Amino acid sequence: MTRGLVLVVWGILWLVRTPLESDMALHMTVQLPLLIGIGYMLATFLRPHEPRWFARADWFGIPGLLLVVFATSFWMLPRMLDLALSDPWIDLIKFASLPLLAGLPLGLSWSRMPGLGRAFLWANFIPKLAAIGGLYLAAPTRLCAYYRLDQQTTAGAALIAVAVALGLSWSAVLFIGSPPFWSKGGENAVERMRGAASGGP
Amino acid sequence: MTSIEAIGSRSRISATAAVRAYLVVCGIVLLLMMLLGLTMRLAQAQWIDVEPNLFYVIMTMHGAGMVGIAGLGGAAVMWHFVRRYIPVSTGIFIANLVFFLIGAVLILGAGFIGGFAGAWTFLYPLPDHSGGLWSANGAAAYMAGLLVIGVGFLLLHLDIARGIISVYGGLGSGLGVKQAFGFAPEKDGPPPAVAASTMAAISNIIGIVVGAVVLVLSLVNLYVPSFTFNTLVAKNLIYYFGHTFINVTIYMAVIAVYEILPVYTHRAWKTNRAFYLAWVLSTLMVLTVYPHHLLMDFAMPTWILVAGQIISWLSGLPVLLVTAFGTLTNVYRSGLKWDAAAGLVFIGVAGWAIGVIPAIADGTIPVNSVMHNTQWVPGHFHTYLLLGMMAMMLGFMTYLAGPKSPSRLAPLGVWLYLIGGTIFVLAFLAAGSASVPRRYAVHLPAWLPYDRAGSIGASLVVAGALILIVRFLVSLRSPIDATP
Repeated sequence: MTRGLVLVVWGILWLVRTPLESDMALHMTVQLPLLIGIGYMLATFLRPHEPRWFARADWFGIPGLLLVVFATSFWMLPRMLDLALSDPWIDLIKFASLPLLAGLPLGLSWSRMPGLGRAFLWANFIPKLAAIGGLYLAAPTRLCAYYRLDQQTTAGAALIAVAVALGLSWSAVLFIGSPPFWSKGGENAVERMRGAASGGP
Repeated sequence: MTSIEAIGSRSRISATAAVRAYLVVCGIVLLLMMLLGLTMRLAQAQWIDVEPNLFYVIMTMHGAGMVGIAGLGGAAVMWHFVRRYIPVSTGIFIANLVFFLIGAVLILGAGFIGGFAGAWTFLYPLPDHSGGLWSANGAAAYMAGLLVIGVGFLLLHLDIARGIISVYGGLGSGLGVKQAFGFAPEKDGPPPAVAASTMAAISNIIGIVVGAVVLVLSLVNLYVPSFTFNTLVAKNLIYYFGHTFINVTIYMAVIAVYEILPVYTHRAWKTNRAFYLAWVLSTLMVLTVYPHHLLMDFAMPTWILVAGQIISWLSGLPVLLVTAFGTLTNVYRSGLKWDAAAGLVFIGVAGWAIGVIPAIADGTIPVNSVMHNTQWVPGHFHTYLLLGMMAMMLGFMTYLAGPKSPSRLAPLGVWLYLIGGTIFVLAFLAAGSASVPRRYAVHLPAWLPYDRAGSIGASLVVAGALILIVRFLVSLRSPIDATP
């Protein structure tokens, strides 16, 4: 049922691609993340069927997350956004590659990466998103042939807003309490370490 | 062996050896950077001849090197003590040192080979406007070096944050927020080393990622000069990163006071609600105080400058007050037998407390508008970095060297450092009050008395630091287990 829902959302996104791609900010901050999200959801269905050799080859999740970085960086290039707009076949490749080469490996590899690695990725992703937003805001010329300068400025501001929202949310989560993605069995660790600390040096 | 130590000892290199490696690098680089500082003062005093172009290279390297070594020394103090309470990775700690050394090579190459002389603050768009003194590659090497060093510190602070969360559940609990606001008993609060490390992690993680943004944008500008961005935004980002990073070095080093003095006085460092509240308030204020670096930027919104002034007055006070008061009550009638280590950490608290006073003066807008570009500013930051932070770090180094190391010369080293440091900072402050500008390679004859007094003070500081650092290096011959 849920699996079907994911496929339906995938299809709906294809149908509404024109309005979403008509604006640079919507394209970058709504459509691309939703496509990645579809792949991430697919990973929850595929994980039980994942071959053991595949999980072992994905050492600490590094190969999978490198694939995510390359796939997302590729589709952040202004030239690729232009091509996706001008050629439906390229757009189709985008619709296939972002879920399968970014969202799916993200869903499979994220939990394999140690907490410190995940924190490092967050700490890099958030400011880099803001930096790209800054580049779009400050660029003296249009970076995409199909988007106006004012749309580019709006996209830059939207990326900065997303970065700020993510940064504040992440900070709040870390400040208030241990999230499940930070450490497995966190509560046990607390008790273990507190016990050790009280009897320690 | 406790489970915390077991987790920390997975690395092939022992934790104590790693801390020693940090301190060896800190000691050697500190001496070299002090010699660069002495060279500048001697040149301003017209006792030696240094080409102005080389002077600004030396000034840039001295600034970047001292900020870096303060960060590294503070990290060594923090990591050594906080690992008693939380699980941390020795591998990450060593990785930070490796990143630091790679970054330092890039920065030194940028300065002494590439000629980069844009000051350690790399203020945009100066790196791209060298006037022919350095190339884009030279400036890029400097900024790449900072980025590499930032990666190491980011990993280190994230690892410490991970350790704090794994024991205390969240960074808020690690900081003692519940105790600060009366939601939990004081006795259940984190030890001082954990509260200070939490503050350092929160502040530096945010500061470093902000610094990374402006560094990346500046690098793009170097190679694509047509790409420009708002210079005032860039300055805000740079000082957010720069101020936070250097300020946090003091808060990391102060852990030495919390952990070393009680060993001498045989009294535990008492924490209470005021202590935790002070750390919570200082965390908030360290993250918002940076606008006092922009008080002369008339284009800044007025409310930010006013906030910067008020927070600047208050920022250091909460932790400073509880630490200074705690130090005095811990030492008073304790029967403490003074030695070099105890003396240095005590001097560190005093230097920090005294250094805040000229800082508060400079953080006042009418004073700042006439004093900020004078030697008053190097006067105040040398007071709380040289006589405060570095004294704490040298105290830690002396403490680790242990009583078996040659100790006859250690008191001499401390006195030379204290007397020389006092002369040195007073020369800066007096010159500042006489409107002697800072960052000038060539000085007018009327300014020379201040420069010459400063040079004498700097020479004494170098001699004192040399004694203390050599004593530490000699102590490395003893087995690791012999160290405290």
